[in-house]
Amino acid sequence: MSDRIAEVWGSRTSYPAGGDWPARVDEFVEDGVEAGGVDWVQSACVLCSNGCGMDIGVQDGRIVGVRGRSEDRVNHGRLGPKGLFGWQANNSPDRLTTPLVRRDGELKPATWDDAMNLVVDRSRQVLTEQGPLGMGFYTSGQLFLEDYYTLALMVRGGIGTPHLDGNTRLCTATSDFALKETFGTDGAPGSLTDFDSCDTLFAVGHNMPETHTVLWSRMLDRLQGPDRPKLVVVDPRRTRIAQEADVHLALRNGTNLALLNGIQHELIANGWVDQKFVDAHTVGFEKLASTVAAYPPERVAEICGVEADDIRAAARIIGASERLVSTCLQGVYQSHQATASACQVNNINLLRGMIGKPGATVFQLNGQPTAQNTRETGANGDLTGMRNWQNPAHVEELAKLWNLEPAQIPSWGPPTHIMQILRYAEEGSIRFLWITGTNPAVSLPELHRIRSILGQDRLFVVVSDPFLTETAEFADVVLPAAIWGEKTGTFTNHDRTVHLSEKAVDPPGEARPDMEIFIDYAERLGLKDKDGRPLIKWRTPEECFAAFGEATRGRPCDYSGLSYEKLRGGSGIQWPCTDESPDGTERLYSDHVFNTQTEYCEDYGHDLLTGAAHERKDFTDQQADGRAILKAAEFSPPHEPPDDDYPMLFTTGRTAYHFHTRTKTRRAPQLQAAAPEAWVELGTTDAERLGVAEGDFVRVESRRGYLEAKARIGGVREGVVFAPFHYGYWDKPDQKAPTAANELTSTEWDPVSKQPLFKVAAVRVTKTGRPVEERS
Amino acid sequence: MKIDEAIQDVQRAETELAKRLRLTGERHAVEHDLFHLGHTLARKCGEHLDRLATVAGKYGVQAESAPAAESPGLLETARHKASELLGRSEMTGMLLLRDLRELYLRAQEAEITWVILMQAAKACRDTELLEIATQCHSETELCGKWLRTRIKETSPQVLAVG
Ligand code: SF4
Repeated sequence: MSDRIAEVWGSRTSYPAGGDWPARVDEFVEDGVEAGGVDWVQSACVLCSNGCGMDIGVQDGRIVGVRGRSEDRVNHGRLGPKGLFGWQANNSPDRLTTPLVRRDGELKPATWDDAMNLVVDRSRQVLTEQGPLGMGFYTSGQLFLEDYYTLALMVRGGIGTPHLDGNTRLCTATSDFALKETFGTDGAPGSLTDFDSCDTLFAVGHNMPETHTVLWSRMLDRLQGPDRPKLVVVDPRRTRIAQEADVHLALRNGTNLALLNGIQHELIANGWVDQKFVDAHTVGFEKLASTVAAYPPERVAEICGVEADDIRAAARIIGASERLVSTCLQGVYQSHQATASACQVNNINLLRGMIGKPGATVFQLNGQPTAQNTRETGANGDLTGMRNWQNPAHVEELAKLWNLEPAQIPSWGPPTHIMQILRYAEEGSIRFLWITGTNPAVSLPELHRIRSILGQDRLFVVVSDPFLTETAEFADVVLPAAIWGEKTGTFTNHDRTVHLSEKAVDPPGEARPDMEIFIDYAERLGLKDKDGRPLIKWRTPEECFAAFGEATRGRPCDYSGLSYEKLRGGSGIQWPCTDESPDGTERLYSDHVFNTQTEYCEDYGHDLLTGAAHERKDFTDQQADGRAILKAAEFSPPHEPPDDDYPMLFTTGRTAYHFHTRTKTRRAPQLQAAAPEAWVELGTTDAERLGVAEGDFVRVESRRGYLEAKARIGGVREGVVFAPFHYGYWDKPDQKAPTAANELTSTEWDPVSKQPLFKVAAVRVTKTGRPVEERS
Repeated sequence: MKIDEAIQDVQRAETELAKRLRLTGERHAVEHDLFHLGHTLARKCGEHLDRLATVAGKYGVQAESAPAAESPGLLETARHKASELLGRSEMTGMLLLRDLRELYLRAQEAEITWVILMQAAKACRDTELLEIATQCHSETELCGKWLRTRIKETSPQVLAVG
């Protein structure tokens, strides 16, 4: 195997349009381990939403390596750097091995009994004093389906609070909401094999070479092979994918919507619309056409800071496509007018009639490996099984499944999003917050505010995590969690592929799987169904998975035909998987009937500008009834435009070597060595103006905070500054100057998906030359 | 013909709505969505007045323009202060609910003034006025829907806790 730090995407294995992506097995085992003595246990990678099939190598009860599964439909044997090296975090000596309880201001080791009793006592106290709405829960995008489903039942059914969200709010809420707005329910319409047969790729705000390295290998194999597909890229940065593009639209951040309206303007004005498809299978065309009529290329060019001819060229490529795959990611989801923009990408595929057939689809991709499962199980902004909280029949179904009175399940409003949960904690109405497997003290916007909320005395904070994170420092109780490789469970990637991940080794010390911790808590708290029996009926992950199969029967994400047995061996299986489609379903909507029937849909939709929730009658008025909904929106300028004091635009992003706040990847030596410290990217002309040379230290400052890091020159458009968001402080507690990008970002979220916006803030940049440690 | 009266009613209602949107946004700036959307929608009110101005002269009515917004920098500072002081008290919830209800009524008032103007425009066969009134009406209606959503989400937490 080549040096996969230097060659992130490995060697090329090109293939023609419609061909099979050749297999290539990537493997990494520790030095000195004899391949013969290794046992291989089936799993998949949990370091991004691609969910590459992999086996875990075990020797003497220890994980010693991984290798890609060549038969897996997702990766055909490949693994990226995070997948190859990230597992070493499991073996890290600083894993949490016992519960910790804060005594006299310090976290001290405690027994499970002591820790859980404390958590339960405080829960009882808050339930008595504040009621269920005094309780908040914030989970991850990296646990397993079984953990989430147990949590969703415990919180929504047992405690009866709507205040449960996942950090998937930060990565895929917009994907979820854009799919619901357009197609009636969540669920990726397409299949990863659509990349094999497309003739055109349209990537909007999606730095795939860094975020989804194996998917990018697949695309590179097409782009550098025969029948090269055309590629249009929208991104303010000159990313690796932008370098491969036929047209790269390097727009000002915050202006996606104007650009996408401009492209639709061109499609319609030039007659590049599949009118038969649009008439038969969509509603809303007239409104859309009249809205985008106001976005001719010249006007859009001005708003976005790109050439009008480039907009025309991009539209021409999309307009001429016969098999179009569009993808979106954080450049859309975490930017201004997020859901509105993501819906326009859906529109573009619908206008072209490019959906539900090989090579033609839209991917509202995910970020985290198990994000899809928080959405399906209802551990974030949705109800279990993609049910509609505004539809009483759906709530009744859930109540029946869980043997509860329907009124017990909060459905008077949407599930509360994390920024609102924190606001309630800030004002003091939430007094108990349980954070599982996520690190909001680095990953949420405007960190000084987050720290001051979590640090309040009146808020009781429980943190379950494998490591002592920046967030755990604010906890009253810390619970050591078992992770991937140490427990059995399932998770689902961004093309609906479900994988089983078997337990390979025991967790360290007394660490326990999250599902077991939740069941223990529910029992100690005495959560019961309406007949007085224990609320949670399962004890093992397999029983939980079977219960979830029942909970999804007849819903879009139908797992009822799946079982652990069926998922063992071979490749992953795509839902819906039922008795009628026992091998799963490669594409949704192949009959062009969408999930917009009033009784079936997951959401009645929103106004895209304000987020005003449509009610049932608004939805039925549209008469979509199986047709997709073309949603239109006007561009409105971002809320914090650059000005004299803060003249530049700040955006945040990722590197291929790190995942989130580096709690795992920092503990893998190869990944850490590849990207050891934070940096800042500046455009060439801006760097000249500021007198900054490559490697100089700079200070980037917004109205809310600042960071300092080394500058890299080039790679972003003029007026834009980029910083990766991975670099918090747990590994360098004495660090003098902040490096976390979220010190600067502002507390603002998309009105529909409630996803925080990390890609638009006004900042100023000054040269400091040297790091702060060397300055005084 | 008394269309001038209906136009002036719209002007008054939209001006008042804009003022209230900004006021509520600023008073509850720790509710970040209210702050941002309050200002966005207040700007919309201004746009409505500008559009109405293009036809108001025809009916002998003076053009009105919406009060201007303050600079974001100033507000940012005020917001942090407010977040520290007011934002940590549970009483803000009741105040918030009351302000939202008041704002909702202002939005409803503006909405019905547009309905009245639309009706008049129809009867007078003034297609230009009708088009403006129809579009502005639907935007003002959305403002009310947004507030309805926000109030429905806020009231349980304010009233059922404790
Ligand atoms: S692409 Fe994603 S899932 Fe695949 S190996 Fe890399 S991090 Fe893991």
